[in-house]
Amino acid sequence: MTSPAPDSSNLSTYLSHELRNSLACIHQFGNILLDGLAGELSSEQREYVGIILENASNIRRVLNSALDGVPGSHEKCTNKLERVSKLET
Amino acid sequence: MDKTKILVVDDNPTIRKGLSIRLRANGYEVLFAEDAISATAALVTERPDLVLLDLGLPAGDGFVVMERLHKNDRLSNIPVIVLTGRELSGNRDRALQAGATAFFQKPVEDGALLFAIRKALDVSRGELRFDE
Repeated sequence: MTSPAPDSSNLSTYLSHELRNSLACIHQFGNILLDGLAGELSSEQREYVGIILENASNIRRVLNSALDGVPGSHEKCTNKLERVSKLET
Repeated sequence: MDKTKILVVDDNPTIRKGLSIRLRANGYEVLFAEDAISATAALVTERPDLVLLDLGLPAGDGFVVMERLHKNDRLSNIPVIVLTGRELSGNRDRALQAGATAFFQKPVEDGALLFAIRKALDVSRGELRFDE
């Protein structure tokens, strides 16, 4: 499911899209396994899935820093939901 | 009571599958579209409660989907959460200006995404409001 490699002007767009989608799949399914949504794992299996996820997170940090100039975690949501409050009744 | 319907728009079938497992495990009904045309059709026929929208799509992109959604009075209040592999630069601000409620880059933490979904639904149902 990868696109043809682009010319150098679109390289960061290409890399961001391809690497982030692949990382998202690793991340999604690793957490699905870890959360027991596909059945319970043994402690050894949980440890190994944890190693996969930890290394996927390392790649994500490198990617964020290299492509978006954002060092460290990128988990904070950028959104309008940071400015909501309960309606007064 | 009907389940909350979430339309997942992404051209990557593995991403769609992963999101559907996570969302269904949290009690949501999940619908799919894989391009801008089928996303627009699903918005009209299914009228989901929320859209999880990728930006890089065949047959148009996520911005086209948002534009069509916000031009339709019947659909314009459906919250859109963008979940994309694109770079921040040039996409985040544009998506928020185009009407997205939230912007996440892939991969996203499940907890953060589910929290944003709940909040966006609360806002659209009038239980929360945006501060000025």
